[in-house]
Amino acid sequence: MRNLMRAAVAALSLTAASFTAAADLTDVNTIVEQANLAAYYKGNDGRSEARMVITDAQGRQQTRQFTILRHDEADGGDQNFLVAFSRPADVRNTVFMVAKHTQSDDDRWLYLPSLDLVKRISAGDKRTSFVGSHYFYEDVSGRNISEDEHRLLETTAEHYIVENTPKDPASVEFSRYKVWIDKNNMLPVKIEYTDDADKLYRRVEVLAVEDVQGHPTVTKSRVSDLISGGFTTMEFRFLKYDIGLDESVFTERSLRKLPRNWLRRPKS
Amino acid sequence: MSLRDRLVSFAIEKPKQVFYLVLALVVLAAAQIPSIQVDTDPENMLPHDQADRVFHDVVKERFALHDMIVVGVVNDQNPNGVYNKETLTDLHTLSNAVQKMDGVVRQDLMALDTVDNITQEGPGSIRFEWMMKMAPETPEQVARIKEAVSRLPLLQNTLVSDDNQAAGIYIPIVSKSESYRLSQEIQAVIDTLDSQNQYYMAGLPVAEDTFGVEMFIQMAISAPLAGLMIFILMWVFFRSFLLITAPMIVAMGTVIITMGALIGQGYTVHIMSSMIPIFLMPIAVVDSVHILSEFSDRYRPGEKPQQALKEVLGHLFTPMLYTSVTSAVGFASLAFTPIPPVQIFGLHVAFGILLAFLLTILLVPAYIVSLSDKRLAALKDHNIEEDDNSLLGRLLAFTGRFSIAKAKALVVGFVAVVAISIYGVTQIQINDNPIRWFKEDHRLRVADKVMNSHFSGTYEAYLVLEKGDLAEDRTLLDSQLKQFAVEAGGELPAELDKILDAVKNDAFQTYTDNLISAFDEASYTRPAAEESVWLAMLEAAENAQVDAKYFLTPEALSYLEGLQAHLNESDLIGKTNGLPTLLKTVYRELNGGEAEQYKLPRSAAAAAQTILSYQSSHRPDDLWHIVTPDYRATVLWLQLKSGDNQDMSKVIDLVNAYTDANPLPEGVEANWAGLTYINVVWQEQMVNGMLNSLLSAFAMVLVMMVVLFRSVKIGLLSMLPLTVTILFIYGLIGWVGKDYDMPIAVLSALTLGLSVDFAIHFLERARAIYNETGDWQATVAEVYRGPARAISRNAVVVAVGFTPLLFAPLVPYITVGFFLATIMAVSAVVTVILLPAVINHISNKSSLFGSEKEKQNA
Repeated sequence: MRNLMRAAVAALSLTAASFTAAADLTDVNTIVEQANLAAYYKGNDGRSEARMVITDAQGRQQTRQFTILRHDEADGGDQNFLVAFSRPADVRNTVFMVAKHTQSDDDRWLYLPSLDLVKRISAGDKRTSFVGSHYFYEDVSGRNISEDEHRLLETTAEHYIVENTPKDPASVEFSRYKVWIDKNNMLPVKIEYTDDADKLYRRVEVLAVEDVQGHPTVTKSRVSDLISGGFTTMEFRFLKYDIGLDESVFTERSLRKLPRNWLRRPKS
Repeated sequence: MSLRDRLVSFAIEKPKQVFYLVLALVVLAAAQIPSIQVDTDPENMLPHDQADRVFHDVVKERFALHDMIVVGVVNDQNPNGVYNKETLTDLHTLSNAVQKMDGVVRQDLMALDTVDNITQEGPGSIRFEWMMKMAPETPEQVARIKEAVSRLPLLQNTLVSDDNQAAGIYIPIVSKSESYRLSQEIQAVIDTLDSQNQYYMAGLPVAEDTFGVEMFIQMAISAPLAGLMIFILMWVFFRSFLLITAPMIVAMGTVIITMGALIGQGYTVHIMSSMIPIFLMPIAVVDSVHILSEFSDRYRPGEKPQQALKEVLGHLFTPMLYTSVTSAVGFASLAFTPIPPVQIFGLHVAFGILLAFLLTILLVPAYIVSLSDKRLAALKDHNIEEDDNSLLGRLLAFTGRFSIAKAKALVVGFVAVVAISIYGVTQIQINDNPIRWFKEDHRLRVADKVMNSHFSGTYEAYLVLEKGDLAEDRTLLDSQLKQFAVEAGGELPAELDKILDAVKNDAFQTYTDNLISAFDEASYTRPAAEESVWLAMLEAAENAQVDAKYFLTPEALSYLEGLQAHLNESDLIGKTNGLPTLLKTVYRELNGGEAEQYKLPRSAAAAAQTILSYQSSHRPDDLWHIVTPDYRATVLWLQLKSGDNQDMSKVIDLVNAYTDANPLPEGVEANWAGLTYINVVWQEQMVNGMLNSLLSAFAMVLVMMVVLFRSVKIGLLSMLPLTVTILFIYGLIGWVGKDYDMPIAVLSALTLGLSVDFAIHFLERARAIYNETGDWQATVAEVYRGPARAISRNAVVVAVGFTPLLFAPLVPYITVGFFLATIMAVSAVVTVILLPAVINHISNKSSLFGSEKEKQNA
């Protein structure tokens, strides 16, 4: 009887413990790692078409369209991106390629077809505008999680709220940023940046999440410049994971001679 | 009963009501004064809906241009100028602090630490990075910054001067009205930096706001000082506080009610209107002096003062009314200028003069009847009429004899003066520059001088080139698309109509964007058979979109490049920045960074891709300060060394000469914007407007004179002194080389209104005396005893009343003070010397004066 009781108590406490574990992560690094995987490493590779609408403070709009090919070398590790512009027509076939490294600086290339020019963009600041939009290059390829200190601020019914402060404040324009991570799918759904005057100046928001081949995937997001009032929305369509991309697609050769087979829109 | 009698009776019979009424008005008006709004914005010289101003505002909005405070950091001690660790560290600290201030447009602030640098990093590799994210710590880092700036034409001589001795921080601000506060905050930060640098603040917003603050000080000092001067002067003339109390009350009442009315109506107090009190005070006392003088002549102690008052007012009413109305007309004629602040000034001074007349008619009699018998007797004790043996009396008597004796020589002399003056008038330099509203040694003038000696110039003018609208392109694309759809048949035309209908209200760029996206979608979702048609339409829309980006085409860019090269040759223009400058710089860096690659991309697509590379920077939006996102309009930034309107006009001529020799590409229009240009516009309007206002005032006053004297000849004679005075004053300005600026322009109307008064008094009395005596010599002698003395005294009162302006810290006030004093002196002299000399030449004096009897006073 006593044994039974003891067993029952043990079972109860175990259940409670496992419930807690499933419902609420408490280790901030685990949360951040999972969020990083959810946001940038779905499948082994992927293809999507992005339509970016840049709206300035006066409401004037510009559109950019491009196809993104991605290939992961390892989950949470090195990755390759190839961004090929299709519109507006005067920048068609302009290509931007990134070899993202977690242990060293990224390699970046730019191909400008009308200048017949391949340029290597030196590892420098990645927090520069992505082709004139309110997104930064770093927003597109993902910020290396080891560059910030993370602190779990709060766990709400829906979100983990994590505050991140840069290890090297001189390398970035923010003093800290707060991320809201959806507990259900571990996707970061809102990020707010604060400057060194403690003023909120930039916000990234997820506007739509869809299920793609079983992966919850962001299909629409927006970055707002809270100071000027301008913002950019980015919509992804024709997403597909695990299409069989390999490293050979992501070479300097591909810049001048686009991998058309992979870039072509898949027939549903 | 005439209006005059009713007013006079009211004042005499109900003095208390008069006092209460005036007091009530003064209190009501004074209550408005605390809500005063000062406006020192030169842009407001033009009405809000004036075409150039509207365009200027549109340009500012379209290109997201803000008003700027420019802080200059100068180091002329260090051989490397600002390129040393300490100076750059201070600059970094200052810029950082400024970025955190409220009211600063942070993202557009330009300083070494907020701009980007593009550099070569080994073959085939470029680097985008902040120019000076952190303050440099080693000489190598300093040298790198120097090298980088000198390679970037958009920055060199803008952020750091060519002589390396000065660096600039360009601080865009949300609202001009905050620039004084911000400049104080910036100064506070500067005060914490201890280094060998000098700091200067420039830019029109600071100048304007500072002017506003100093204007208040000016008003608070000059107006009471003018009142004090007049008070002392009247004491010298009349030696009776009792006597001069009345004019002082009239003057104060007039000033307070007029300013209260102006502020109460919601008008802002501009530079001109801030001078209203100083204008009104001397003018307002003059009429009361006339009344008091005459009253003390006629009044017999022991009598009731009412009768004497009625006689005096009956006698003086008409000339006082006429002198007031003519002065008012002179000022009111300023309403014909197209400059709102000048209009408001003119109309309110006119109102104030008429009010002063009314207050004089009501208050002075009410004041006199309220005096006790003892005081009235005391009033009589003061001999108001000066002794004929006084200095002034003897001088005037001599003048009278002289002007008759040497009549011929005098007339010839005046004709010569007029001829010389007319030549002087033709030499007048029309010019203005708001920075010159400050004295030479003012810190803003000094800053302006220092900054312009180091940099390419701190005065900005914008030349906007714009390609005509896209209505035709749109119609063409629509019909092209419809043709595709009709040829394909089936459901296509209906589908296309739906798509076209959805985008019909979009601007061209969005319209094509949305068409492209809809066609792309349709090619994918509609039946496969339609795909090729949708793709063809998509291509047509894409082509139309690319073709519409006019200022990316080689044709447009090389025209701009040529124009820039032409302008850069001029000494007036320190530097021009434009889309070609940006494109050539980025193109050079993309192509290895050698100087020979500093050229325009070969095609529109190459230009678009060069721009796409540029946009991958920290400040992609800088692009939109020189071209609109649809590439239909672009702006050339001209940095001018001088903000003088004359120099801006020369720059305009320079551009016109170029566009005449090299016609603008088809459908392209060029227009100017920028404050330096706006100043030229309002000045031109003012010159023409002033001529109109002067001519119309001249005509109106002439008509009034003819009516007053019921004689064309005397009417014309009365215009003679003011004509000579105006020509003399403007001739003098031409000869001395003083720029014809806003205050000078306004003077013409004032001269006209004020100096005709002297002629009225002189001729009115001369005629009356001639009609009594019938002898010209006797008339002259008599006139020089009475009226000439009154004229001289009034001229002195008014002239001296304006002299406090000479001590003003702001130049426009000094100018007005100096010239008004001169005008009063000259017109008094011309009246008392020239008029008798000219009349002396008219043989039949009886027909000149005699045609009319003394006017009825009933």
